[in-house]
Amino acid sequence: MDRKNVNNLIVKNLCVKYNGNSILKNLNLAVKSGEFVAIVGQSGCGKTTLLNAIAGFIRFKGNIEKPQKIGLVFQNYAAFPWMSVKNNISFGLNGNKEKINYYLKMIGLKDKQNYYPYELSGGQIQRIALARTLASNPDLVLMDEPYGALDANTRDKMQKWLLDIWQKERKTILFVTHSIEEAIFLSDRILMLKDKKIRKEYKIRFKRPRNKNIKFDGGFIQLRKRISKYIN
Amino acid sequence: MLNKLKKFYFIVPISVFIILWQFISISGLINIALFPPPTKVFSAFIELLNSGELLLHINSSMWRVLAGLAIGSIFGIIFGLLTGRIKFIDESLSPLFHIFRSFPPVAIIPLVIAWFGIGETAKLFSISFAVFFPVWINSHIGASSISVYYFRAASTLTKSISKKFLKVILPASLPFIIAGIRTGIAIAFIMIFVSELAGSSNGIGYLISVSHLAYRIDKMIVGLLLLGFFGALTDCIFVRLIKRSFPWIEKM
Repeated sequence: MDRKNVNNLIVKNLCVKYNGNSILKNLNLAVKSGEFVAIVGQSGCGKTTLLNAIAGFIRFKGNIEKPQKIGLVFQNYAAFPWMSVKNNISFGLNGNKEKINYYLKMIGLKDKQNYYPYELSGGQIQRIALARTLASNPDLVLMDEPYGALDANTRDKMQKWLLDIWQKERKTILFVTHSIEEAIFLSDRILMLKDKKIRKEYKIRFKRPRNKNIKFDGGFIQLRKRISKYIN
Repeated sequence: MLNKLKKFYFIVPISVFIILWQFISISGLINIALFPPPTKVFSAFIELLNSGELLLHINSSMWRVLAGLAIGSIFGIIFGLLTGRIKFIDESLSPLFHIFRSFPPVAIIPLVIAWFGIGETAKLFSISFAVFFPVWINSHIGASSISVYYFRAASTLTKSISKKFLKVILPASLPFIIAGIRTGIAIAFIMIFVSELAGSSNGIGYLISVSHLAYRIDKMIVGLLLLGFFGALTDCIFVRLIKRSFPWIEKM
């Protein structure tokens, strides 16, 4: 297969074992180009393992068709601590100043471009991580609980910011989170990872662009309860 | 005000030490010829300084220390990063380095003299050899303990191996490398003394050696104090330079 033509992510019969224990078994999923899909599940259910397999970091059995260029955003180790904001963003670029400036403006850190991550807040560091990833122009962005370590207020702001960026860039995003509310607010679809497989799928029908007020909508609250009940 | 004063607290124990030294020396408890007071040591220092001899010795020793430190550190960092990150190189080279690392560095001096004579090459080799191992082992540990997440992020952003080494592995290992170089600084000052003692016509080690032959204990103490002072100064300057050049390092 010519991998250059692959825009969608298709995972078929994915099996991952760790120290003889099965973590994922015959897992199937598909994500269309430009889609924002969230994966939700209990802690330790294999969400991060799934992302690692898709990124090609771990051994697996099964078949994964994926776009050639993949970007990653993690909860921890988001930005390189030894690089300034500007150098973090330009790491994957070859000195394209226009692009660097575009992303510096996009994350609102143009005036702090020479700052180091330790001089910035958790939310700002996560913005650097996403900008660095987007600057390398990936076809698929894998995000592993990127806002897990942020306080509630910053998390709300970052979710809105991510949605604004996604509206502009329309990248395919596979977003792992344990927050059901975050998954409903951000994604087009939620995939429930339970007992080593994707067991259920919820389509999110809230119109875009989304406003944080939808979190108080009756439909939103009901869906959250349903998903929570399913997980537990 | 109090914070500014705190910077100079180190003067207190030094002053107490000098006063005690002076007191014990002139008290008659110990033979004054074997244990000259600080005033006599200071006079010897001025005598050496005025003769121009002292600057020559300092200049020779410091050049050797810094050159040996640089050579040993550069090789230590390069091999440390390679053995720390590349399994094949680690498995082939590390056992050999561990055997060499166990040698007491001063034990190689007679062999080095047999190989290189008593010229500059012998001294540079001895210091570089001794500095190499602490820098290598620290760089190795630093490079092998880098979080896998940094690699994963880097590997999705660049395919260039040299870029990963220079912009990810090297800076991420820097706290360990710095610890290794600081150990290397202390070892370099031990080695300069030993190698100049074994055969030299100048340097602080040589000064101590000839003062011993002439039974000038005051001059021997001057030499020892100079080694201590310049060792501490080199470490202090190194730490300051690191803090200024890599302000993020303490936050890692």
